Amino acid sequence: MNVDDATKDAGTDRTEKLAHTAAEVLKRRAESLAQEAETEEAKSLMSVLLFRIGPEWYAVRVEDVREIYQEYALTPIPCVPDYIQGVVNIRGEIISVTDIAMLMRLGRVSGLIEMPAAIVVQNDDCATAMVVDEIGDIAEIATDGVEPPLSIIDKVQAEFIAGSLQIDSRLVGLLNVDRVLQPIGTTD
Amino acid sequence: MVEFDRSAFISKFQEEAGDLLQRLNEGVITLEGDPGNRELIDQMLRDAHTLKGSSRMVGLIDISDIAHRLEDIMVKIRDGEMAYASSLSDHFFEALDTIVYLTENAGKDNVDPDLDLEALQKSLTKVAEAGGKAEGTIPAHEPVPDVGEAVADGEPSHEIADAEDVMEIHEEDEGPASAEAPRQAKGASERQDDSLRPKIQHTIRIRTGQIDRLLNLISEVVISQIKAEQRVIELRQSVSEMAEIWAAWSQLKSVLNSLPIDDDPMREQAVDDMSTLDGLLSDRRRSLAAFAKSYNDDTSRTSIVLNDLQQQGMRLRMLPVSTVFNTFPRAMRELARSFKKDVDLIIEGGDTELDKKILEEINDPLIHIMRNAVDHGIESTDVRAAAGKPEKGTIRMAARQEGDHIVIEVSDDGAGIDPDKVRAAAIRKGYITESEAKSMSDREATYLIFEKGFSTSPIITEISGRGVGMDVVREFIVEKLKGSLDVTTEMGKGSTFLLTIPLTLAIIRALMLRVGDQTFALPTASVDETLRILPEEIIKVEGREVIRRQRRTVPLVHLGDILSVPSAGLEATKIPIATIGFSGHRMGFVVDQLLGEQQIVIKTLGTHLQKIDNVAGVTILGAGEVVPILNVPDLMENARYRAGQKVGTVETEERKGPARILICEDSFTTRELERSIFEAAGYDVEVAVDGAQGYAKLKEGLSPDAVVTDVQMPNMTGFELTRAIRSDPELSDIPVVIVTSLERDEEKTEGIEAGADAYITKSVFNQDTLLDTVERLIR
Repeated sequence: MNVDDATKDAGTDRTEKLAHTAAEVLKRRAESLAQEAETEEAKSLMSVLLFRIGPEWYAVRVEDVREIYQEYALTPIPCVPDYIQGVVNIRGEIISVTDIAMLMRLGRVSGLIEMPAAIVVQNDDCATAMVVDEIGDIAEIATDGVEPPLSIIDKVQAEFIAGSLQIDSRLVGLLNVDRVLQPIGTTD
Repeated sequence: MVEFDRSAFISKFQEEAGDLLQRLNEGVITLEGDPGNRELIDQMLRDAHTLKGSSRMVGLIDISDIAHRLEDIMVKIRDGEMAYASSLSDHFFEALDTIVYLTENAGKDNVDPDLDLEALQKSLTKVAEAGGKAEGTIPAHEPVPDVGEAVADGEPSHEIADAEDVMEIHEEDEGPASAEAPRQAKGASERQDDSLRPKIQHTIRIRTGQIDRLLNLISEVVISQIKAEQRVIELRQSVSEMAEIWAAWSQLKSVLNSLPIDDDPMREQAVDDMSTLDGLLSDRRRSLAAFAKSYNDDTSRTSIVLNDLQQQGMRLRMLPVSTVFNTFPRAMRELARSFKKDVDLIIEGGDTELDKKILEEINDPLIHIMRNAVDHGIESTDVRAAAGKPEKGTIRMAARQEGDHIVIEVSDDGAGIDPDKVRAAAIRKGYITESEAKSMSDREATYLIFEKGFSTSPIITEISGRGVGMDVVREFIVEKLKGSLDVTTEMGKGSTFLLTIPLTLAIIRALMLRVGDQTFALPTASVDETLRILPEEIIKVEGREVIRRQRRTVPLVHLGDILSVPSAGLEATKIPIATIGFSGHRMGFVVDQLLGEQQIVIKTLGTHLQKIDNVAGVTILGAGEVVPILNVPDLMENARYRAGQKVGTVETEERKGPARILICEDSFTTRELERSIFEAAGYDVEVAVDGAQGYAKLKEGLSPDAVVTDVQMPNMTGFELTRAIRSDPELSDIPVVIVTSLERDEEKTEGIEAGADAYITKSVFNQDTLLDTVERLIR
């Protein structure tokens, strides 16, 4: 009886230990599975539109882009911040024209071309036409390919960059559209 | 039962209730099939609640009570205290039908005398209570079979049944209720027949945003149309060119035909070719002319239709002013009661139409004016009787359309505004100096009541009346609605406030002008006059450019300076100026070119540019050109700033306690300007209106670190003050800075001889020079 008891006790111990280990293993497995699921999910793609400011390339989510506007008659508006070139009339709608390079303090859009192309970006609240030096292709990237913005970016520019992307071995800053679209309320 | 002045609300209520009732009716049907539909239950509860509240607001207590019961039932259903059973539907429909009937007949006296609301109330109460007791089981067992049968029979006798149900609870009601029951049933059946007929809806509700988008598109089409009209002109030109070519060709043809005939086969060929060409050319010419003509016809037809379309589109936003006016009799009665006055309100022109947006804005200013009229305009009954006026005062509110504006006149037959009292109060409050007051006409003095903050002074309200919040009224009318506000008053006879408001906020008249290479639109409502003056007519006063208009000095500002748009220079020898009168100030804006006046459609600067200094919006001209519309209040503020040099923040060094400055200056503007410069720089500022007052303050022991004084002042000039300070042993070491418009050397010498420490001429005056000078002297 005693021996039996002891064996039994030892057996119980072992069983408990095993059960514990099993639980641990299961938990880890569940976690890893969950992670896999996450990875799976993150494999989804998003489209970005590439554009160039000076020598650098940037990207903007296609879903934030309303249209590309090429030939427009710009009307300058007095007393606006320096990065607002004025407004344009797009089919009866007045839209501001933002010099994105000025806004991000990257200098000015080169101005070599008479009428640089503009990307009309919008969120729920407002829209603006961003003037850029060149409009590139639309690229498909994995959603998890968006990395945090490079820490070396200038503080002034950091707020405009939502993340960085690797596209064809080129590092491209993803534009923070909401920051660009911050409504302008005063003259400062 | 229903008060007259509620009629306007009632029509609003009817409109709202119609929607709610329709939704509740639909809800009952849906709920029958899906009794657990939580969302629907919540929505019906909300609707019943809204109905209860809004009917109570307009005094339709019967509707409110029924809706209240419905709400009770819905609450129980929501809270699970009772389940929705189809048997409930009949109660609901009956209640809803009754509300529909009551709503439609609201404000009328011919309410069906057979309508037994009490019985309905009680039956509903019973349903609610039964449900409560049943705790989630099918409620109200007793009425259910009765009602079910009655409806199945197509006989609306359930009302009797309901009444009886109620009577079981309230025995004392039995007699009258049962006696009325048969007649009631008849009335109810008629009502039910009515409710079965489809209602013709004469109105639909559209979100204003949708209308605005539509109007946007219309204006785009208008722009295309204008382009098309330009094409017509081009086409006509080419038709006439074609005619010229044809004429030339005909001439050539006759020359060729008149050449001597020979038998050269080449010639024969050429003659053949020529006649073919001739035919082609003639065909082309005719068809081009025909095309031009039909295109022209089409375009003008489209143009007529478009004009109509545009006007109809604009009308979509218009509502009669009565929607606002009709709430006033009641407000007036309350005002009269609270001020203990006896006042009649007469309303005229309620059918005048106005843009909805403006209507929403106009209520408060009108109430404000009315309150002032009752409070300060209309005298008390005995005062009126003593003055030989009818005891009851009258306030008249009349709206009419004048061109593209609506004029609303609010007049009272009260005491009128005493310009002298306004002057006196304004002087006391420091708005104007005595000499300024003297030079003001009565009319100008009266306008002081619109000054910002002027009204809030208890003294002014007390003595002159008409003060409370008039600045707010002006702000609304002028700044928000781009209208204008005028007042005429006659002592003892009353006052009239005249509000001129553009018909729609979307379209205004604007003066088009050019600065640099840009065109701007300036709303005409605030433009006093446009002038073209010779350069020598510009006078320099206190270092500022001014012109004289109607014996008043109007300061000039270059519009380009304010907008930071470089001027292209003058094309003509005369200088174009637009003067703007705004909140009692007049300012002349120098521009490069005045282009003329036209109607413009106002558009915002888009969603991104929420508020831009000096720019109120843009307009799109016929050819698609976008033109900024200037913001008059901003312009005036910035111009006044500039006319007195910029007052900005000035960095000052740390010092022990603020230095004190005494400013002696008789001009209010200069005084306040200097004050703000020093205060912004952290000084403690004391002011005096002339040398004598300044000297008195010094003698009273005010020991400033420096004195800044003007030269030409009444009572004691700056030179005299300086000499007085220098000769007084107690004061002699206080630095004195003379700021003056006198620029001649003799005067400068006189100033220095008087003992001034610095001498600044106003023409070179700016805050930095002034501050630097004083700073240097104090250290």
